[in-house]
Amino acid sequence: MTDSFETILDESISALQSGVPIEEILAEVPEYAGQLRPMLYAATVLTDPNPALVPEERKTALRSEYMKQLIELPKLPLPTFGEKMQAGVRVARRRLTRESLLKDLTTIIITFTLTLLMVVLTINYLSLDTVPGDFLYGAKRISESIQLSAAFSEDGRAALEEIFNQRRLVELEQLLEQNKAAVIQFRGKVETRGEDLWIVAKHTILLPGDVVIDPDIQEGDMVEVIGLLRTNNVLVADTIKLVR
Amino acid sequence: MNDEHSLLVRIKQHDQQALAEVYDQYFDQLYRYLNYRLGESDVAADLTGEVFLALVQTLKNGKPPRTSLTGWLYTVARNLAADYIRQKTRTVSLVDELVADEPSLTDQIYLSELVPMLRKALLELTEEQQHVIALRFGQGLSLAETAELLEKSVGAVKALQHRALASLARFMPEEMQHDR
Repeated sequence: MTDSFETILDESISALQSGVPIEEILAEVPEYAGQLRPMLYAATVLTDPNPALVPEERKTALRSEYMKQLIELPKLPLPTFGEKMQAGVRVARRRLTRESLLKDLTTIIITFTLTLLMVVLTINYLSLDTVPGDFLYGAKRISESIQLSAAFSEDGRAALEEIFNQRRLVELEQLLEQNKAAVIQFRGKVETRGEDLWIVAKHTILLPGDVVIDPDIQEGDMVEVIGLLRTNNVLVADTIKLVR
Repeated sequence: MNDEHSLLVRIKQHDQQALAEVYDQYFDQLYRYLNYRLGESDVAADLTGEVFLALVQTLKNGKPPRTSLTGWLYTVARNLAADYIRQKTRTVSLVDELVADEPSLTDQIYLSELVPMLRKALLELTEEQQHVIALRFGQGLSLAETAELLEKSVGAVKALQHRALASLARFMPEEMQHDR
């Protein structure tokens, strides 16, 4: 209320100084008219439209007195480079107090933290649509790891793992569409368990001779597959682990 | 602003030409300020001269104005005005003395008759409020310019202006207090 009235008062004074009649100003803000009226009349009375000047003779006399004093003032030489440097050091020393350092440090830390946060959020946003092999894919996985380690409960962690695994499967589909080679990792149910070929989460996986497989895996078990997707869209397993 | 800065740099070197320029550039406005605050033209002229002598003295002492020449000059003028007002003993209560006689018109002629009364009423304000009123209505400075000279925020100057005018409004004649 006070702040808005102070603003209205100042705007009214500006209007008054521009020559707007008081009653016209008050008509614009009738709710404040009672309070404003005496103040605006006071402002009118206090405004000095034609301030008097000192008579020239007096002014000249005062100037002469001043100039007389100036003669006694020795002219100083321009500071040398060394003196400027010394002055700079003095100023720096004055500024480098414990309080100013603490203040500067706080500002730097806050600025650095905010900048870092902005960079992290931007990278995280840009990495959302990446697939394995892309430049920012690592950032996507780091962000997921951080989210997993920050999960409050086992249920929360499991839900996050499910979301991230769905992402892996989507990425695998994208890689297959684009015929891209990449290291892949995903989880899924073992649907068929053959000699050299398995089907996990509807994807056919080739098992080379040196593949590492948990011995207890049966059809219907949930497994994690780590392997290589070749450009001919053949998925070669490196490791297949049982997810317990 | 740049002119002021270069002037300040030159007067720090005791450049007499620059010091003469300072006098010519600031004398009238400082006189108007002091005359507004004191309402005594002779005293205001003397004190204006003293502001410039103070500038010479501070240069002699090796303590020139640091950042704002205008701010420094107005601060000296303000202090001289405050000292003068303080020394001038006032025993009569202004509040009793300042009640206006039944006015009939609020036209320009009538308003001008209120000037001496309101000028006396100014002395009832705090020194800082008097300074703000002199800068805003005597010098015609904007809120921002006043704030810069006072080294305060615009909001703080707005509040000072409000309190000053609210105090002065009490001295205004009855007919100016109500709707017409």
